Amino acid sequence: MLPVHHLLILGALLFCTGLVITIIKRNAIMVLLGLELMLNAANINLVAFNQYKPGVPEGQMFALFVIVVAVSEVAVGLAIVLRVYRYFETAVPDEIKELKD
Amino acid sequence: MPEPASLYNPATLQTFALLTLLLPLVSFAVGALVSERYSWVVTLCAPFLVLLSLATAIYTASVQWGHGNLLVAMPWFTVSDYTFSAGFMLNATSVCMTVIVAFISFLVHVYSTGYMAGDPATKRYFTMLGFFTFAMQGIVLADNLLSIFVFWELVGFASCMLIGHWKENPQAVAAAKKAFLLNRVGDAGFLVGLMLIWSHTGTFALGDLAQAIAQLPGAASWQTAAALCIFCGIAGKSAQFPLFTWLPDAMEGPTPVSALIHAATMVAAGIFLLARVSFVFTPAALDVVALTGIVTAVVAALAALSQHDIKKILAYSTISQLGLMVTAAGTGAFNVAMLHLVTHAFFKACLFLSAGSVIHAVHQGQHQGHRKFDVQDMRNLGGLKTKLPFTYITFMLSGCALAGVPFFSGFLSKEAIFSALLHWADNGWRWLVVVLAFGVSFLTVLYTYRLIRGIFAGTETATAGLNITEPPVIMRAPVALLAGASLWFMFSINPFSCSGWFLQFPELPAHHITLTIFSTAWVILAVVAARFIFRERNPFQSELLRNTFYLDLYYQKYVTDSVVAVAGFTSRFDRKWIDGFLHATAYAQITVAHLTGWFDRAIIDGMVNGAAALARTTGRFTQSFQGGKIQLYIFWAALAIIIFLIWTLV
Amino acid sequence: MIDANILFYPFALLAAVSAVAILVVRNVFYGALWLLTCLLSVAAIYVLAYAEFVAVTQILIYAGGIAVVILFGVMLTTRVAGVPLVVQHGNLFDAIVVGFTLFVLLLTLFSQHDFSTVAPAAAVKALPPAEAIGMATLTDFLLPFETAGILLLVALVGATVIAASLKSKRS
Repeated sequence: MLPVHHLLILGALLFCTGLVITIIKRNAIMVLLGLELMLNAANINLVAFNQYKPGVPEGQMFALFVIVVAVSEVAVGLAIVLRVYRYFETAVPDEIKELKD
Repeated sequence: MPEPASLYNPATLQTFALLTLLLPLVSFAVGALVSERYSWVVTLCAPFLVLLSLATAIYTASVQWGHGNLLVAMPWFTVSDYTFSAGFMLNATSVCMTVIVAFISFLVHVYSTGYMAGDPATKRYFTMLGFFTFAMQGIVLADNLLSIFVFWELVGFASCMLIGHWKENPQAVAAAKKAFLLNRVGDAGFLVGLMLIWSHTGTFALGDLAQAIAQLPGAASWQTAAALCIFCGIAGKSAQFPLFTWLPDAMEGPTPVSALIHAATMVAAGIFLLARVSFVFTPAALDVVALTGIVTAVVAALAALSQHDIKKILAYSTISQLGLMVTAAGTGAFNVAMLHLVTHAFFKACLFLSAGSVIHAVHQGQHQGHRKFDVQDMRNLGGLKTKLPFTYITFMLSGCALAGVPFFSGFLSKEAIFSALLHWADNGWRWLVVVLAFGVSFLTVLYTYRLIRGIFAGTETATAGLNITEPPVIMRAPVALLAGASLWFMFSINPFSCSGWFLQFPELPAHHITLTIFSTAWVILAVVAARFIFRERNPFQSELLRNTFYLDLYYQKYVTDSVVAVAGFTSRFDRKWIDGFLHATAYAQITVAHLTGWFDRAIIDGMVNGAAALARTTGRFTQSFQGGKIQLYIFWAALAIIIFLIWTLV
Repeated sequence: MIDANILFYPFALLAAVSAVAILVVRNVFYGALWLLTCLLSVAAIYVLAYAEFVAVTQILIYAGGIAVVILFGVMLTTRVAGVPLVVQHGNLFDAIVVGFTLFVLLLTLFSQHDFSTVAPAAAVKALPPAEAIGMATLTDFLLPFETAGILLLVALVGATVIAASLKSKRS
């Protein structure tokens, strides 16, 4: 069994890195990459704690569903990115400000 | 014994005394308010009002005479818990003085209508004459030292204005200033004396003061000091040594003014005050008074011998006679001094007015004859006996009174003075005073003889050929009245005895016949000597005497110049340091103002601007939440979550 | 023998390094490739954590599906005119503050808990995980399973609709 603390630390690291990527990158695709990292970090947590109950797959089920959700989110997100890219002709999120107040 | 109640009524007396005081003030008010076009109204009203004042004074005097003191007072003002009152004190001395002041003032008013005719400023003249009369009556009637001091100052002011009446003449202006200044020097001492009295007895009222001092165990040193300080004021006002130099210069004023103020009344105010506060004077102070008096008398008599100006001779004569009065007061015989004051008032006023007649007549002659010479210089006059017989007679009458010839009032009062002196003299230096007093009376005869001879005897010099006539009746009548008052019967039935209705001598022994014979012989000797001495030239020509031992020069050099130097120094100090200090504080203030301005601009406005900038930044910052930038939204959400986590979990 | 857990550390290191690499690189393509690396190393960790099914699913779907789709997206959105686009960084300070704060916060929270209270299970399991998962899907987790299906359908339809060719802003 893997030490839970270490897994948690790894998960925290991945999550924070994903968050920073999401905030600093001026490219919509890279924002999506950050999102994926965050989701993976959550998955690591789930799997880590699932080690305490070997016969009960709740953690892994949850992880599987997270992956499914991630898939749909990426699909739709990429579609939106492509659409926005074609319309605004830029992939930089900051320049898409028509929702600005 | 009380008089019938119907006649002696204090309320009526009070009213009449008030009228005596205030009618001249009404004359002053009339003169001040009437415009220049109607100055003839003032010339008409002023003598009339003073005549009314004379009438009320006579009434008051006749009723009050023989009744002792009547004190009337009413509250004046209050300082902390002491109330100063102002009121009248009517006793024999004061009512007598009111009559004399009113009478001589009235005569001078009448005389002035003739003398000052044609003068462009007669309105101002009569206004100030009225004011002077009011102030003089105030001194005489007042019952407390504070009121006396106030009127004292007013009299000095009126005198200054009247001396400088012809204000285009720079010498007249300088004389007026000198008179005022020397008076002020004396009054400074007077004020110190008042303060001493106040601090030791707590009252100014004369009646209370007399009682307070009578209850003192013995003569205290403060009393002597207070007495001498008050004597300073008297020395200033009555022209005693060394404060007499203003009086000869005061002859720059019109002659009626000299007659009224500088012969009869104002200078006599000092003697009057001496009599009033006689209870303050300790024997030591009285000795000082006597000494001062005799020194004054001798110096002035010597100076009178060498003058050429007829008015100056009369001025020095006045100083000398005042010195005799003060000496008499110094012996303790205050009523003797008052007697001489009264007789002197009449004959000196007569002398001055007669001299004024001479001056006036020669002036008129000058104008008609188109000649120009100093009218008052005796060397230009002479031999006017035939042209001015009336004036000659009045001059002779009053001159004899001045010289102390028997059958005249002056003889009586000089008798009284010698009696008092002889009674008082009991040790060495006092005998010297007596000898000097006799010497002064000898000199008096000498200079009087010289004066009359110089004007009237001999042959005419500069006035030869001029048409000189007697002045009009309106000027001659007052002179005649005053000449009449110089005769003996005004004061005593017996021409050789000074005890009469005016003066009782209860404390002195019976009048010495020897003294009478001696003084008569003394006068005759003096007349003979004068005839002999002044036959040709005046042997008393001496610059030293003429300039009164250069007293004026000493004053100028040591006193005036040093005071002016100090004044200059303080003025420079003031300008340089005090004004400099003020300028420095002003600069400091300006600097502080600049600093404050900078502070206001830089810091306070900066703070306000900073607040605005902060608001702007905050606004922009919060505006950025809605900037449409997705990643910022993510950032803020994450930050909020973190803060929430920290808050709840940690 | 050497503890198999020791393999965890290299893979963990690889995952961490590749995550940081995505942060650092300025090229979207490289970033996508680094993501791929990260996903694969995470899959390896899953294996070591006795979650073999999840690991395989990770490789198949995440690495094989999502990463590839992202690469397609990269190709479509970058105007490659010989020089690849350089991605700028923005809000650097804010992001680092947030990231660092969150990391420290999480570490603090972890250090306050002692996760060894639960008795670790032995390596022997009742059923192979695949079987367990399969059983659980259709019994305990039926509703989420069906919902996930609907979700996938919706996503599919939605993506198709959104990505359909339409006019650009200019024309």
